[in-house]
Amino acid sequence: MSMHHPDDDLLLSLAVGSLDRASAIVIAAHLEGCTDCCQRLELLEAVGGEMLADIEPVEMEVGAFSRTLERLDPLPALPTAPAASARPRPDLPAGMHWPRSLEGCDITPWKRLGPGMRWSRITVPGDPQANAFLLRMAAGMQLAAHTHGGRELTQVLYGAFDDGRDVWRAGDLDETDGDVHHRPVVTADSECICLVALTGGRTRFDGLIARALGAWMGI
Amino acid sequence: MLTPTDRREAVPTPDALADLLYAVSASRDHAAFAALFRHFAPRIKAYLIRGGVAPGQAEDLAQEAMVNVWRKAASFDRSRAAASTWIFTIARNLRIDQLRHERDAVPSATLPGDDADEVQDIVDTGALPCDHAASAQIGQGVRAAIDSLPPEQARVLQLSFYEEQPHVAIAEALGIPLGTVKSRIRLAVGQLRQRLEHLKS
Repeated sequence: MSMHHPDDDLLLSLAVGSLDRASAIVIAAHLEGCTDCCQRLELLEAVGGEMLADIEPVEMEVGAFSRTLERLDPLPALPTAPAASARPRPDLPAGMHWPRSLEGCDITPWKRLGPGMRWSRITVPGDPQANAFLLRMAAGMQLAAHTHGGRELTQVLYGAFDDGRDVWRAGDLDETDGDVHHRPVVTADSECICLVALTGGRTRFDGLIARALGAWMGI
Repeated sequence: MLTPTDRREAVPTPDALADLLYAVSASRDHAAFAALFRHFAPRIKAYLIRGGVAPGQAEDLAQEAMVNVWRKAASFDRSRAAASTWIFTIARNLRIDQLRHERDAVPSATLPGDDADEVQDIVDTGALPCDHAASAQIGQGVRAAIDSLPPEQARVLQLSFYEEQPHVAIAEALGIPLGTVKSRIRLAVGQLRQRLEHLKS
C-alpha cells in the first residue's frame, strides 16, 4: 500500500550484497510489507544468477572438493545464544509489530529526547559501526530542521509525517542526502515511529541545541 | 591429474543444473553435487574476489557456499527461481556476512550490549523476506532481456555485480561523473524491466 519505495540503485546494491547492514535492515523492513518491491528485488537477484553464470571462473585449490565433502556432515546444532542475552524490547503502540529484519538486533529502551520525542538505539549483531535507530514522536511534533552528511534511509513503521516534500505514511521508505533540507512534522492524527539508518555521514541540524543533541545521540 | 575445475566440459543448461539440485535434494547424490561444485564453486569464488574478498577467504567461503547448497537443497524450487539465482543468493548472503565480520574484526569502541559470542550463530543473516513466490516466470526471460539491452546498459549491470565499488567502476567505464551513476543504474534497470515485460506479452 505504500507510495514511496527504495529506488533501483538501492535495491540493486541489496541484491548484489554490497549494501551496508544498517541500510539493508531498513530496506528489508520495507520489503516485508511490499510485494512489488520483492518482485523488483527478485528480478535483480535473477540478474545476479545470470551474472554468476557468465563470470570468468577462478580455479579452486587442489583438493577443494574433498575438503568440502568433509564439511558436509551436519554439525551438532549450537545453542542459540541471543535468547540468553536479549533484553526485552521497548513497548510499541497497540497493533504495531516489530519488523522481522530487526531479529537478532539489540534495541534499547525508549530514551527521552524532549517533550513528545523518544529514540532507541539499534545495535546490529556483528556490526558495531552500523548506525540505526528508532525515532518515536508524538502527534503534531516537529523534528528540528536538518540536512544530511551522508545517506539517511527512513522506513515509516507507524503513523505518518509531512516534511513539505510529501506525506510519508506507514510502509513508506524515504531516502535523503545532503540535497534534502527538511523539517519533518508528525501528522496530527497519531504518533509516528520510524526506523532510520545513517551511512556516510551524520545528520546536520540547523540549530545549536539540536546539533548538540544529535552529537550526543551519535546521529 | 584432473581436479574438478580442470575439466573443460560443456556448461550445463539451466534445466540440467536444476536437475542436479533436485538429485542432491532427493537422494543426496554425490555425483550430482560434484557436477554442481565444478560449475559453481569457481564462479562463486570469482564473484567473491571481485567483490573485495581476499582470495584465501574466497576459496573458503566458496566451499562454505557449496556446503550450504548441499544442506539447503531441499528448499530449492525450480518453479520459483533458476538454480543459478538460488545459488547466487546463497553466495551473496555469505558475502554480506563476510563484510560484516571483516569490519567486526577491526577493534573499535563497542557499544554496550555488544557481545562477540552472540555473533557466531547468526547464520544467513543476509536472508531477505522475499520468498520468490512471484518470480516463477522471471528467470525465463532475464537472459534474453539482458541480451537485448544496449551495450552500455548491460555494462552498467555487469559492473554492479562484478565490482567491489560499482559506482566508481561505472563512472570510470562510462566516463561520467560519479554523481550521475545512480541515474544510469535506474535507467538500466528500468530498461531491463520494460524489456522483460515486453518479452512476456
